[in-house]
Amino acid sequence: MRKKSKKKQVLVCCGTGCIANGGLDVYQAFKNNPGGLFELASSDDIKATGCHGLCSSGPFVRILPDDITYCQVKASDVEEIIEKSIKGSELINRLLYRDPQSKKRVQNLDKIAFNSMQVKKALRNVGLINPESLQDYLERQGYQALHKALKMKPEAVAQEIIDAGLRGRGGGGFPTGLKWKACQAAASTPKYIVCNGDEGDPGAFMDESIMEGDPHTILEGMSICAYTVGASKGFIYVRDEYAGSVTALTRAISDAREHSFLGNNILGSGLNFDIEIVRGGGAFVCGEETALLASIEGNVGEPWDKYVFPTEKGLWGQPTVINNVETWSNVPLILLEGAKKFASTGTAGSKGTKVFSLVGKVVNTGLVEVPMGTSLRDIIFTIGGGVPGKRKFKAVQTGGPSGGCIPESLLDLKVDFDSLSEAGSMMGSGGMIVMDDRTCMVEVARYYLQFLAGESCGKCVPCREGIRSMLEILERICNGQGCLQDLDLLEDIGESVRTAALCALGRTAPNPVLSTLKYFRDEYLEHIVNHRCPAGVCKELSEFYIDAELCNGCGLCAKNCPVDAVQGEKKQPHVIDNSKCIKCGECINECQFLAVKVR
Amino acid sequence: MKILIDGIEIEAQPGETILEAAKRTGIHIPTLCYHEAFGGQGSCRFCMVEVTKNGSSRVVASCTYPVNDGIEVKTSTPQIDKIRRNIAMLLYKRAPNSLFMQTLYKEHLCTENNLTEDPHEKCILCRLCVNACASMGVSAISTVMRGTDKRVATPYDDAAAVCIGCAACAQVCPTGCIEVQEEGNTRRIWNRDFVMVACEDCGKKFATREQLAYIVDKSKQDSPEGELQLCETCRRKVIARKLETFNG
Repeated sequence: MRKKSKKKQVLVCCGTGCIANGGLDVYQAFKNNPGGLFELASSDDIKATGCHGLCSSGPFVRILPDDITYCQVKASDVEEIIEKSIKGSELINRLLYRDPQSKKRVQNLDKIAFNSMQVKKALRNVGLINPESLQDYLERQGYQALHKALKMKPEAVAQEIIDAGLRGRGGGGFPTGLKWKACQAAASTPKYIVCNGDEGDPGAFMDESIMEGDPHTILEGMSICAYTVGASKGFIYVRDEYAGSVTALTRAISDAREHSFLGNNILGSGLNFDIEIVRGGGAFVCGEETALLASIEGNVGEPWDKYVFPTEKGLWGQPTVINNVETWSNVPLILLEGAKKFASTGTAGSKGTKVFSLVGKVVNTGLVEVPMGTSLRDIIFTIGGGVPGKRKFKAVQTGGPSGGCIPESLLDLKVDFDSLSEAGSMMGSGGMIVMDDRTCMVEVARYYLQFLAGESCGKCVPCREGIRSMLEILERICNGQGCLQDLDLLEDIGESVRTAALCALGRTAPNPVLSTLKYFRDEYLEHIVNHRCPAGVCKELSEFYIDAELCNGCGLCAKNCPVDAVQGEKKQPHVIDNSKCIKCGECINECQFLAVKVR
Repeated sequence: MKILIDGIEIEAQPGETILEAAKRTGIHIPTLCYHEAFGGQGSCRFCMVEVTKNGSSRVVASCTYPVNDGIEVKTSTPQIDKIRRNIAMLLYKRAPNSLFMQTLYKEHLCTENNLTEDPHEKCILCRLCVNACASMGVSAISTVMRGTDKRVATPYDDAAAVCIGCAACAQVCPTGCIEVQEEGNTRRIWNRDFVMVACEDCGKKFATREQLAYIVDKSKQDSPEGELQLCETCRRKVIARKLETFNG
């Protein structure tokens, strides 16, 4: 064991978002060790960690034990940070987080609104450890849950997961413990353990953050399950685009094997279990568990009817437990803190926490973990800081592309598996996209249906032909060629698809249409009856004008208009020439006074 | 085990599907992608039925749902009829050029709507052709692409090297959308030409050379001799004669 020291440690966020903003350069700059501060350039004292959560303010540098967090750090800031805050104990004010409400600079991010309501359970290690270091994981109780489980009876482990009330975080919400128990009871061998890391929702990165930031926790969760159900082989199916996840998991598997956390006779218990990584082929539908299993088998990624559960007939027809990344990361925690403690967080039907990737028209975009039952309002406004600028909140889309759009009137909804389904949306794997009043809800439905038209596997008729038809109708409405009967037809087809489609992707595919028809029907009617797109998004149905009373003639709209359609004298109200206007919406987006309007 | 289908009590065998149990009893459940030779695929969803078990009901595909003791099945409810009507409507809009779909569209009393129709399309993607080809052990065709672009094709739409030109795909196709052109000694199917072999007795061109070679290979015979050189009708006659000799 490494001796505990009071030496300073530097954690550099190298989550995907921060890497995109130069996180690796910052990390490298510390590694180059300017000023010879660290004993060794490879010293443990500089860690590249997983995602810190508040991606909109990255890359982050966190200095321990002083607990100073610097935001939007560039490689060129590193020398100054070393001189002032590591050698010395001076704060660099300009790099500290600026709280949008109080306008004050904050040293410790735990206290800011974004983090105040969060409870990190699944993400307990992400951002705090070097994912490449088994040692780091061990220092944070790593593999202690496995050690504990191996001393319990397998039935008792399954019961612990049942008592915890853990439900599948991939979206299905099926009770995880019952799944394990069913697989335990299945007579046939071999049995398989599968981790679903095929996170395909646009704008979602919950699972990626765990795979990249805390890979061992997934291995530990799977090993505990292997012991519980009597499996000897596991697979982690990783979305092909997640190269960082593959690297982190590969390293973790190899380290775990070397230290007897995987392989034969794990920790001397007699358990043999090993894990293989399978890279996905780039199909969204392979996030559906039976399609994923088909893909691992080397077949086309098409789902099959789950009238017999994978726990009885899964991979190669054998009993299989398949859980999502976030579910696996909760497993060691349940064993460590006990089912009772775990179940003390959350709602009656949904225990524990849920990780969301909060994106779209929201001030603080990032990774958020909150107790089940937290209201949408708290997530979007308290944690997310609300909608940027003067724009108004319009809807939040939860559950990925086949989730539904929830309106402002339901913002006090306590988020859990059941409440979201009742509202016509779903938990999904935890995508949350905030939309403001510049969003056209018909266009949103059209957009998601277009995504699904390309990503449906195309096997069953309701999904393939239903999506094709609904998309055709939506395109027509967006082009101003819709008629009132189209709305009935959309609902009619949508309901059939919802009931008759083969898999969860198909059955939820009508959600974007049916939920917007339910909550934003007036927008559909505006498109059809008045040939008008109130948000000014559908080009055929939008005409912009400038409200002379609100316009102060700042000229920002004219400056940004790509076709010089806006004219006016400085400090005088401007005018849009509609014969030139291409309806790109730049003027609306730029206007700080909400003077540009849609006729 | 006992199950109820439309109020009729049926003794069902473990492992069989609702559709199989219904068929055995003469209860009709409409299907599109089901064929006795290949079993249920669960893809057309036309055979959806309502299953009630322990007081709770759900709509399932009867071709893939395995029977279990005490279930009650309804093969027609307003909800199910609506699903079938919508499937017939959607497939008709996809393949209005097929007589099969035109009939189905009328049978299910689909109402007119303004969805576009592809005048050239006949395929409803039931995949019976793909299954037939796979059952032959050939797999020269498969579905390609995904989503609304899904279709049946040979690899890269080229002439498939493994195709034996047996035309089992065309025979099993309900909408007649697989083109088989026969002219002189040549059969053209899936962009490939095959030489037809004539029956030694009646002269009817009954199989392709590749098909016979494939049979020889599979049945481990040395050469296509004896009965293999005969068409189906003549082969039956020969066998019948042999049996007569045997019996006599």
